[in-house]
Amino acid sequence: MANQLLEVEGLAKHFRGGGNWLSSGGDSIRAVDGVSFSVEEGETFALVGESGCGKTTVAKMILLLEQPTRGTISFQGKDVSSFRGSGLREYKRLVQAVFQDPYSSLNPRMQVMDIIGEPLRVHQGLRGRDLRMRVGELLENVGLNPVTAAFFPHQFSGGQRQRIAIARALALRPRLIVLDEPVSGLDVSIRAQILNLLVDLQRDLGLSYLLISHDLAIVEHMSHRVGVMYVGKMVELATRDEFYGNTLHPYSNALLASVPQPDPDVPMGTTIGGEVASPINPPSGCRFHTRCPIYLETNMCREVEPEWRGNLS
Amino acid sequence: MLREDTGNDLLLRVEGLKTYFFQRNAVLKAVDGVSFSVAQGEAVGLVGESGSGKTMTCLSLMRLVPQPGARIVEGEIWFKGDNLLDLTEHEMRAYRGHRMAIVMQDPQTSLNPVYTVGEQVAEPVRLHLKERGQQAIARVLDSLRAVRIPRPELRLGQYPHQFSGGMRQRVVAAMGLTTQPELLIADEPTTSLDVTIQAQFLRLIRDLQQDSGTSVIWVTHDLGIVAQMCDRVNVMYAGRIVESGRVRQIYKEPQHPYTRALLDSVPLMGARREKLYQIEGQPPDLRSIPQGCPFWPRCPEAMDKCKEQYPPRTSLGGEDFVHCWLTEEGR
Repeated sequence: MANQLLEVEGLAKHFRGGGNWLSSGGDSIRAVDGVSFSVEEGETFALVGESGCGKTTVAKMILLLEQPTRGTISFQGKDVSSFRGSGLREYKRLVQAVFQDPYSSLNPRMQVMDIIGEPLRVHQGLRGRDLRMRVGELLENVGLNPVTAAFFPHQFSGGQRQRIAIARALALRPRLIVLDEPVSGLDVSIRAQILNLLVDLQRDLGLSYLLISHDLAIVEHMSHRVGVMYVGKMVELATRDEFYGNTLHPYSNALLASVPQPDPDVPMGTTIGGEVASPINPPSGCRFHTRCPIYLETNMCREVEPEWRGNLS
Repeated sequence: MLREDTGNDLLLRVEGLKTYFFQRNAVLKAVDGVSFSVAQGEAVGLVGESGSGKTMTCLSLMRLVPQPGARIVEGEIWFKGDNLLDLTEHEMRAYRGHRMAIVMQDPQTSLNPVYTVGEQVAEPVRLHLKERGQQAIARVLDSLRAVRIPRPELRLGQYPHQFSGGMRQRVVAAMGLTTQPELLIADEPTTSLDVTIQAQFLRLIRDLQQDSGTSVIWVTHDLGIVAQMCDRVNVMYAGRIVESGRVRQIYKEPQHPYTRALLDSVPLMGARREKLYQIEGQPPDLRSIPQGCPFWPRCPEAMDKCKEQYPPRTSLGGEDFVHCWLTEEGR
């Protein structure tokens, strides 16, 4: 088995809110409610689920943009919350992110040189010629001409901007990159370019990815293992082959059946009704029971929360 | 008024439509000679990437191109026997929202936040069907039921912010469908929806289409939606339709290198591709479309001829056609 790079154990994030203007309602929005998984060296782990399932909140906690309410995140065997000073800086160097919208994730007032060069200056103290060389190298890595270092973001198309965001993420030679919907803002023909680039970089640099996506075709193409989230809980975790060959959870089945296939001879599967439940007062028992097509009338699904069972295979 | 015999099952025929944006120093050719038709009860797809002109084509059909700035400079839009471009603005109003309706991408902005959902769905009923009071309410309730909004009597009096994204998109669809239009234009109506909600919406539109015989134009970049929802598909690139055909035919034997590239560049569930086919470069700037075939700078099979002259329309039997020198020369 490959080495574990990142391990998330019983992670939870509860936000205040859900009350009215007289009472805050307390910490009652349970965005993430006890999620465990790991990302191994060199693998892509995908978190999938619909809006409000908590996948982005999980990513934010890993990036230290949110404080977990409960649970631990360990990186290379060490608890991330214990990191201080240089240890913390090192973690921030090794874990990078690429976000969905390359229009808002790049500062419009900064030249590409400074966008990609900033982490190099801050973390490695590179200046002058060394800095320019390294930025040029990074631009070449992501398929851009080093001459473009003098340009501003508005001079690039969406796909090129996403390449710049990737170059910035690569600058400090990270081990893990969190990819939050990295291609959903891009045109179809550009998506393939970015996805191929990400796969090539992973192979060449031995990177690990935490891929957050709602596009199950892209997830199948990119990832080694898949975790499905529904209203703050992980409902299924499987290797890619198990997941796409033989899903176990009815929600995973519903997700797969909902994807319109680009083949007129493959009819659309049976979809489920209803909408994603709210993380404010989530349904009792199994959170999916309100939409489940095979809901057991025995009250079990409604009353008892199904236990997380590891290693079914 | 001009009349033309269009055959009895043809609903819409667009001929040589050109819609340009006039800017200070440039003319942006958003739609540059688009021709296609929609039969009664048929679902036709317009696919292409951003900037390919698909949305502008639809806005031209409704005669709602952004003013000032854009203008329909040429072409004909035959809706049954009438050329919509010959109608006065007043006459056009009898079409919009009555005989043809549009459902746009973002349900957040297509609903007015200060009116109740009931008032908004009732508007086309009052304007076009001249119904009032209990009669209008009954029709609105029917529409809300048709798009499967639970408890419509209660929802009628609520405001858009009290609806979820999926439910809001259903309301917009209900607005479009209350007057039972002959043509529904669906402009990326599901892009902001989650997958399971998208699947519900697609199913809903398909059922409504089958029940009422409405024709639908699907505007999308999602090749999955086209495959599932459309009978015919028109592939657009840089303001023109480069290939048109029956969905099965196009997905099985795409003729245009761009269509082929599009189909090969999407990850397919179940078919594990080692590497996705990658179209190099980017869509052209519409202010300076390359001479010849606009796709040539990105085309792996481009010949000298492609750089000089736009390829003529090569018929592929029936109404199917392609604009590509490869097929034209290969005949």
